[in-house]
Amino acid sequence: MSESRPRRVAVTGLGAVSSLGLGARAVTESIRRGRSGIGPIEQFDSAGFERVLAGEVRDFRPGDHLDRIDPDQWGRSGQFAAAAARMAVGDAGLDPEELSRSRAGSSFGTTNGESGVLGELSSEWVRGGLSSLSPELVGRADAGRIGAAVNAELGLTGEAQTVGTACAASNYAIGYGYDLVRNGEADFMVCGGADASNRATHAGFHRLGALAKDVSRPFDAHRDGIVTAEGGVALILEPLESARERGARVYAELLGYGMTCDARHMTNPDAASIAECIRGAHRDAGVKAEDVDYVCAHGTGTPANDRTEVAAMREVFGDRLPPVSSIKSMLGHTMGAAAGFGALVCCMAVHTGFLPPSATVREVDPALGPGLDCVPGTAREARPRVVQNHGFAFGGNNAITVFGEVAQ
Amino acid sequence: MSGTVLDIVGCGVLSAAGSGLDALAEALEGRRAPEPDPADAPGGEEFPPLRVRAVTGFRPAERLGGKGLSRLTRTDQMGMVACGQALEQLDGLDDDARRRTGVVLGTGAGSVRRLGEFTRDTFVQERPYMVNPSHFPGTLMNSCAGQTAIRYGLTGVNSTLSGGPTAGLSALRFARNALANHRADRLLAGSVEELSAQSAWAWHRTGALGRDVAVGEGCAVFVLERGSDGSAGSSGTRPLARLLSCEAGYADPGAGAAALGRRLADCVRDALESASVTAEDVAVVAPGAAGRFGWAAVEERALRSALGTPGPRRLPVHRVLGETHSAGASLQLASVLAHWRSADTAERVGLVTSLGPDGQVGCAVVERAGTAAG
Repeated sequence: MSESRPRRVAVTGLGAVSSLGLGARAVTESIRRGRSGIGPIEQFDSAGFERVLAGEVRDFRPGDHLDRIDPDQWGRSGQFAAAAARMAVGDAGLDPEELSRSRAGSSFGTTNGESGVLGELSSEWVRGGLSSLSPELVGRADAGRIGAAVNAELGLTGEAQTVGTACAASNYAIGYGYDLVRNGEADFMVCGGADASNRATHAGFHRLGALAKDVSRPFDAHRDGIVTAEGGVALILEPLESARERGARVYAELLGYGMTCDARHMTNPDAASIAECIRGAHRDAGVKAEDVDYVCAHGTGTPANDRTEVAAMREVFGDRLPPVSSIKSMLGHTMGAAAGFGALVCCMAVHTGFLPPSATVREVDPALGPGLDCVPGTAREARPRVVQNHGFAFGGNNAITVFGEVAQ
Repeated sequence: MSGTVLDIVGCGVLSAAGSGLDALAEALEGRRAPEPDPADAPGGEEFPPLRVRAVTGFRPAERLGGKGLSRLTRTDQMGMVACGQALEQLDGLDDDARRRTGVVLGTGAGSVRRLGEFTRDTFVQERPYMVNPSHFPGTLMNSCAGQTAIRYGLTGVNSTLSGGPTAGLSALRFARNALANHRADRLLAGSVEELSAQSAWAWHRTGALGRDVAVGEGCAVFVLERGSDGSAGSSGTRPLARLLSCEAGYADPGAGAAALGRRLADCVRDALESASVTAEDVAVVAPGAAGRFGWAAVEERALRSALGTPGPRRLPVHRVLGETHSAGASLQLASVLAHWRSADTAERVGLVTSLGPDGQVGCAVVERAGTAAG
């Protein structure tokens, strides 16, 4: 560890490519109003599926948002990541040339990597045998190209980490970037996540009976699953002190994070492990449970997730649960980008003063216990000072980030 | 973190040379030629006309038991067996220690075969969702790390990194950061790649392999702890080696291969400085791009630039193990350890380098156990 004093870490730029629009402003505005990004699947042929809705990104012309890389050379996930990162740099008011000369890298999470490319390769195998695989597609298949796309687009020479811890991946990626900035190993880290709507993921959740009939209804008594979705999201992390010196707008301070692994079951969440993750995140962030004003839930809308997540929160918060909501009620489940969208919304909530809603809840599940405020409908005006952002995944990977208000 | 030195107190390795560091050492010295056994080539699909090198004598049922084995991908199985091998070298971990022990693995895209077969089913089954649900978790990149944690009850930091040939270094860096910041006390870090007809055809179709290089597979994992001169967390096991530094960087491949080479050379210089060793101290290098058409020369130029000409001994890892993609950097590090295990030399410092066509570059500097200067 660096000998010098740890640096405080600020979030100064946000970027997003989502079913709720492009850019942090558009996404936040939609979320405040409780709008839905769910619609018919267009990214793959949905014929034969019984569930045919997804939260897909529409009207995205990557060339409009990418300055350096040629979108045709990269998969859809990499395009999402790079475009979100480019937006975040602009939002942070950073000079791109100066950024690329800085000690700067990227750290992005993903569940399925370049799943669009992998789907095309599988289709080639079915149609023409393995000997017909296109070399160009093969060259675009590695998941590591997501971080690479960000570095190539921004001209970064620091490391390009791609974290594959499934649906918690963005929080792992943000946490990693936090440590590097905090310890002085990097002066800027561009962190986030990306995933693309794809056939294999949709089929897998479909077969598990985990897809909602229409929309995802986290915390609702009649919730029946997730809606698959896609998108890319990026946060600029830099030292708070230098952000202030350059007069940057600081959305929030990244206070810390925690990680645990269930080591029990590949697909069933574990309340004790999640509770331990919450406690670890609080310790790392230097906050107490009673300091937390809002929880951006993993909140997938499956019966098991929401039950387990609320049980874990009760273990830590006792009777005084802070307001907790799920933006998956609007975005759907953006997989490896999900925790990144949670982080973006947490930063906006702290910065502009609101609580994001659980937009689709109609009847809060009484089985989740008393006193559960899941902010139904639309956003609520509020001034959350400390917020925590959940990300849980198959494989038993849990990661939680904690953000806090910064006096301007 | 740049000053953090980690002890490597255990190593599990599976490769074409067989199981363990001794088998690898014998193969590297040419005392044992890996015998490619076509019967070992996994999966039902026909392979392309390429040389392949499967892990020799890989019998997962003997190590993992037969129950539930078919749900596990070959990637899962190799990771679990290699981690089991590494854990056996410790004096045993109690419940408290397992809570602070985790798994951090590198991969390219997970089990390419499982993902391909699963997706194929969405096209050829009667309905697109008629996939095998028990095969779904294995399509995810974090399957191997998750399954390994379950198998050995390791609830500490668990992560999966992707980055093609540099994936093993990505995992080392992630693990090193977690240990340096006391987020865990002990991590099994490494990387894994399975051989399949799907990936072999991918290599064949792109023509990205160097001449006469086989497509390989394998897994190497290292038990990492904060340096024993540091505070708690050490299992008290005598280290095999010390990880002095691990650096990573990026250069846009669109700017040309030479830019990657220059970035790698800078990365090596940074890593040597961070490790407080000089280019002259480096006694052995395990290069990573030697199996890749066009890239071997780029890496070699970077090595000459950073270490001088002709510089230290190069370990011919690819000649012995084939091109192992995301397992590569870990198998290179294992090769350095294996080399030191057998060789009667005064070598002290080893270097592992890697660069990939997507632009990632990285390296690790290791010191042989019991040879610390000063």
